[in-house]
Amino acid sequence: MKFNTGDKVEVKTKEGKFVGFVMPSASEEFIALKLESGYNLGLKLAKGVSVKKIGTLGKEKQPSIRPPIKKNLPNIVIITTGGTITSKVDYTTGGVSPLTKPEDVLLATPELLDIVNIKKVISPFAVFSEDMAAREWQIIAKEVAKELNQKDISGVIVTHGTDTLHYTAAALSFMLKNLNKPVALVGGQRSSDRGSFDGGMNLICAANYCKSNIAEVAIVMHGNSSDNFCIASRGTNVKKMHTSRRDAFRPINELPLAKIWPEGKLELINKNSKTRDNNKKAEADTKFEGRIALVKFFPGANPEILSHFIDKGYKGIIIEATGLGHVSTNPFNKKNSWLEKIKEATKKGIFIGFAPQCLYGRLDPYVYSAARQLLDAGVCYLDSMLSETAYIKLGFVLAHSKNRAETKKLMLKNISGEIVKQILPESYLY
Amino acid sequence: MTDYQKIELKSGIEIHQQLDTNKLFCSCPSEIRQEKPDFFVKRELRPLAGELGRIDPAAIFERKKRKHYVYEGYNYTTCLVELDEEPPHSINEDALNIALLVAKMLNCKFPDVVQVMRKTVIDGSNTSGFQRTALIGYDGFIKTSFGKVGIQTVILEEDAGRRTAETPDSVTFRLDRLGIPLVEIATAPDCKTPEQVKETASLIGGMLRSTGKVMRGIGTIRQDVNISIKGHPRIELKGVQELYQLPKIVELEAQRQMEEVKLRGKNKLEGHVRNVLPDLSTKFLRPMPGSARMYPETDLPLIEIDNHKIASMKLPESPEKTREKLKHLKLSPDLVNQLAGSEELAMFLTFAKRFPKLNPNQIATTLLVTPKEIKRKLQLPEFEVPEEAFTMIFKALTNNQIVKESIPAILEEIAKHPKEITQVISKYKLLSEAELKQEIAKIKMEFKDIPKEKLIGIAIGKLRGKADAQKIIALLKK
Repeated sequence: MKFNTGDKVEVKTKEGKFVGFVMPSASEEFIALKLESGYNLGLKLAKGVSVKKIGTLGKEKQPSIRPPIKKNLPNIVIITTGGTITSKVDYTTGGVSPLTKPEDVLLATPELLDIVNIKKVISPFAVFSEDMAAREWQIIAKEVAKELNQKDISGVIVTHGTDTLHYTAAALSFMLKNLNKPVALVGGQRSSDRGSFDGGMNLICAANYCKSNIAEVAIVMHGNSSDNFCIASRGTNVKKMHTSRRDAFRPINELPLAKIWPEGKLELINKNSKTRDNNKKAEADTKFEGRIALVKFFPGANPEILSHFIDKGYKGIIIEATGLGHVSTNPFNKKNSWLEKIKEATKKGIFIGFAPQCLYGRLDPYVYSAARQLLDAGVCYLDSMLSETAYIKLGFVLAHSKNRAETKKLMLKNISGEIVKQILPESYLY
Repeated sequence: MTDYQKIELKSGIEIHQQLDTNKLFCSCPSEIRQEKPDFFVKRELRPLAGELGRIDPAAIFERKKRKHYVYEGYNYTTCLVELDEEPPHSINEDALNIALLVAKMLNCKFPDVVQVMRKTVIDGSNTSGFQRTALIGYDGFIKTSFGKVGIQTVILEEDAGRRTAETPDSVTFRLDRLGIPLVEIATAPDCKTPEQVKETASLIGGMLRSTGKVMRGIGTIRQDVNISIKGHPRIELKGVQELYQLPKIVELEAQRQMEEVKLRGKNKLEGHVRNVLPDLSTKFLRPMPGSARMYPETDLPLIEIDNHKIASMKLPESPEKTREKLKHLKLSPDLVNQLAGSEELAMFLTFAKRFPKLNPNQIATTLLVTPKEIKRKLQLPEFEVPEEAFTMIFKALTNNQIVKESIPAILEEIAKHPKEITQVISKYKLLSEAELKQEIAKIKMEFKDIPKEKLIGIAIGKLRGKADAQKIIALLKK
């Protein structure tokens, strides 16, 4: 009973005879069949069941497209890295594979042709969002810088899975020095096989962002649940705030840089952004210290958690602290005080930085005396910095500082808008 | 008379029935809402990657002029699933079990594994751009008095959004209907006469209702009919409103096809979809749709079908058995027909058992016929008598507190004052002997100058529904 996915087969069971195409099956106990009606069903490969191959499935024909170059339109480059937005579904088997050619992207979103010329599509790798790490951020940063320095390139779009999109946005914000042009990071919350694919409008708005004069790394995705407009949020102050909504990416502590409509209108909302300078040369400074950790404090948390990192020689730890910046210092069970462990770490030269687990607002160590104790123990209070951004920044800063004092200085220096000096009331729950 | 055997009439039906459960892939109630929506979401549906197969300017132009969709939602009955903002939840077990039961009643076979599919829909009626649908049973049959009719498939799927408005560049859909579970039953084209089509639809409808788990009322069941005759390809008719119209519709369509064949010969004829008009004639709607693109719903796990569970499912009483039972109660044949497969059947059986002194025909008439008459008379869009009202009426009737002639008047007043059931019924309660004597004395005093024969008429009129006429006459004569 040998058969392969895509074979046309006749299956005989005691119930009757079935003709259909073999689909990938989750279990060897069953054969998955696509019937002529289009429905799939599974049949148990029990005793007395026979499978006979009677043909094979023709391959779905891919249309070939040569995108025209329009002289009056700016050129952009798209870097695809994997994720929902650049995967395509084989409608016959249901299998998912990444898009790699410019024409693939255009097939899903041909409106791009009216906005920009896609000079090339680079696919350095295709991984799920959660599999991204420093190596991938470094590759992307280098590719982006190289393309931004091409005279005829107006901006770069990076497509990416959404789960860790904001980590990559933060990494690029620090690694791309001297940023001269727009860099848009784009994902999709709905897959491209369906009519309700949201990535199409995100890509269109990202292309419009690439035409703008905003020289910032930004996540460009839906502004609300409707297909009205996108928002571009600064790469260091943005977070995935919802597991599945289209408008999951929200700016934190500041307004979005801009609102962008798919028709091409762009409204600058946050005046605090750098302006395009085509004469500048962008630089990818990608050194990164990987021995860092991000830890969340929670009520009753045992500080022994930190021992692992101390013992393993970690260089720095970002702790998501409660409220204005606290971890337990005076609990009933003395063993649960974090003060001593933190002192132990800082004494060994390990950088300990606090970031707000509230997400919104900034830390302040002077309101409660307990926080002052922590400050004295060497904790660095990272102001309004999002913990994810602080984590990325720490990896970058540790690779660029000679000593602990310099690390601290750089961590508190506003490198890429990650510290919001003026938090406006309307930025809350934007 | 058309000789259907000679023209080789072949007809099958497709029935879509809403199930009375929560929605198929989320926990929202299956509730159709009439009030103003609480919020609106605007969306576009993108033609799918590679679907156009070309990206020339014409294709882009096509995209620019495409419609957008507005979806209307409600604060407590619309969730992120209907809005296509959250993956579907696991399939509603209640709905799945009803579909399995229906398939079992229709003698279907079951797949070992059910896979929910995405069927591409591009008219905007589904926020996702596809409809979730699953093949639950196949290759069954039902017996009609004209012979067996095959059941091709029993499918469980989600209903689409409800179209509420349209402008040249947008269509509005209400999300209340989106996601309501639908069982779709497709028969083979085995019906050979218009009457057989009606009987098939009626039998399947009765089976669905006998589960006690299907929605009732306008729009909760929709049926399409497929018809072909010798030399004419299959025509699909949409929009059949009422069962009794079926024979006429099939007859008219068969005649239309005969004319077509005569006029144009079989070479130029093409199968297509037609709409049924109010006068039961039909009008071209659209060409026969190509088979829709269907691919697996990757957000949902496969569903293994437990054969033991199906084997242990108890089938509701068959319509034939119910009829036998009703005949036993000495119901008139007309009432048997009306009751069998009706929503009121269960209630009738309960009342018949609880009030054995009453004539079952009286109970059935009160439950089925009288409310319909009142609905028509008062031109009410809906009229549902609360079960407690029936209980009180039958109790009063059993205790000789009211006369059966009062029932229509009582129900009519309940229709007008639905919150005053007790008051309405007590108004029609018969007078006690003493009370009646007192009333007669009053009438006698009031009309003392009037001849006795006329007084009888006046007294009966005044005391209608409050006392037995013979008793009134006897008392007046005293």
